[in-house]
Amino acid sequence: MSSDFESYEQDFGTTTAELTNKIGRIPKLSGEEKTQLILNVDKQLEEVRELMEQMDLEVREIPIQSRAMYNGRLKSYKQELEKLEKDFKRSRIAYSDEVRQELLGDDGGSSEGQRAHLLDNTERLERSSRRLEAGYQIAVETEQVGQEILSNLHGDREKIQKARERLRETDANLGKSSRILTGMLRRPVAEMSNCSQYGTYSIIRSSEDSTAYHHVIKGFCRLQSLEAGVPEACTTARCSPIQLSGTC
Amino acid sequence: MDNSGKEKEAEALMAEADKKIKSSKSFFGTLFGGSSRSEEACEIYVRAANMYKMAKNWSAAGNAFAQAAHLHLQMQSKHDAATNLIDAGNAFKKADPQGNAINCLNRAIEIYTDMGRFTIAAKHHITIAEIYETELLDIDKAIAHYEQAADYYKGEESTSSANKCLLKVATYAAQLEQYQKAIEIYEQVGTYAMDSTLLKYSAKDHFFKAALCHFCVDTLNAKLAVQKYEEMFPAFSDSRECKLLKKLLDACEEQNVDAYTDSVKEFDSISRLDQWLTTMLLRIKKTIQDDEESLR
Repeated sequence: MSSDFESYEQDFGTTTAELTNKIGRIPKLSGEEKTQLILNVDKQLEEVRELMEQMDLEVREIPIQSRAMYNGRLKSYKQELEKLEKDFKRSRIAYSDEVRQELLGDDGGSSEGQRAHLLDNTERLERSSRRLEAGYQIAVETEQVGQEILSNLHGDREKIQKARERLRETDANLGKSSRILTGMLRRPVAEMSNCSQYGTYSIIRSSEDSTAYHHVIKGFCRLQSLEAGVPEACTTARCSPIQLSGTC
Repeated sequence: MDNSGKEKEAEALMAEADKKIKSSKSFFGTLFGGSSRSEEACEIYVRAANMYKMAKNWSAAGNAFAQAAHLHLQMQSKHDAATNLIDAGNAFKKADPQGNAINCLNRAIEIYTDMGRFTIAAKHHITIAEIYETELLDIDKAIAHYEQAADYYKGEESTSSANKCLLKVATYAAQLEQYQKAIEIYEQVGTYAMDSTLLKYSAKDHFFKAALCHFCVDTLNAKLAVQKYEEMFPAFSDSRECKLLKKLLDACEEQNVDAYTDSVKEFDSISRLDQWLTTMLLRIKKTIQDDEESLR
């Protein structure tokens, strides 16, 4: 009986060792291989459980005195089996470190990528700063052009203001001169006609009378009063020069 | 255009006008309306001059205009005389700038100042100054004429035009190392510009130039000047020019030519330095280098 138990123990040992190995390998694999290995491990676990049951039966047939030892061993085997099952469950969803390395290439390869990335960034920054500089230059040039234009405008404003003032002055002067001209047109028309009358009359009378001299003087007096701007005098003088000369 | 034909016509007209003048000097001419003869002669002279201009015979055109002006003066019409003299001056400008053009323009200016027309006299002073500047390269006379023009403009209350002339005077004065004059003018113009809304953006430029002139004289002067300008005109301290000045001051104090060159290069990379600025900065740089050498 105990030899059966021992053979069972040996089987148990080998299968558990195999199982541990296989469970360790599961996370590293994927796809087809993984599923096959999992089935494999499942089967082996079943076998190990059957082994355990048979060991259990064996132990019950052993007399009670030596049962304690075998019980102890059985318990430890059971614990081992449970642990294996737990590992198995975990391994199906476990990650492995190697997987990440496989995904991202070698260690040396990833730092190269970072360097290229940084250089690219630097170049982009330099390009932007160059563009900003150019924009700033254009802004400064624009400001200078603006300065010149503004000073030109200032000068032109002064010139226009002066020209406007001069025009207003000229306008006023023209108005005055036109008024003077119209005034000049009205007055001499009357003056000229009277002048001619007195001129001829005095010449005729001077040939007849010694008092003609006085008439000429009177004529000139009338002319002077006319020049002083007394238009009424000419009408009365025209009517009766002789009477007036008598009274004066 | 038949230019040679025009020239012949012009010559014929001149001969006709000459005859008229001669005949008007005779006894009968003076009795029977000598003035109308002179007027006709003037007109003919002007026509002849225009024909010479078409034929591009500038000196003959100038002569014809001068004759016309002479006649006008005899007839006591100053205004017409002056106009003809200006035309003569312009024609001579193209042929013989030195003698005749400037002569005619000067005579015209005398007539205008006699009549009290200072604005137009100032304008012609500027023309003469430009001739001296460009064709004859006589900077002293050019400065004198610009100054005269500025004075006339000031008299007529056209401060803007006066400032334009004064700025030209200042640039030339600084080139000829008459720094005091230049400093005064720049400060004056700068203070005037500060207050005007249109001109305040040019004020910082004027203060910058004034400070550079101070620099050429003495570094300490420059420092005081920059402080003064900052007080007067707060916006000045924000400008790039002020920053450049401060850097230059530091470089001069430390006698560090490299720092000087670097800051000048930096300023140049943004806005190109023109001839005047480069000359002044070079002079200042030389003073630093001389100081350095004398220290060694």
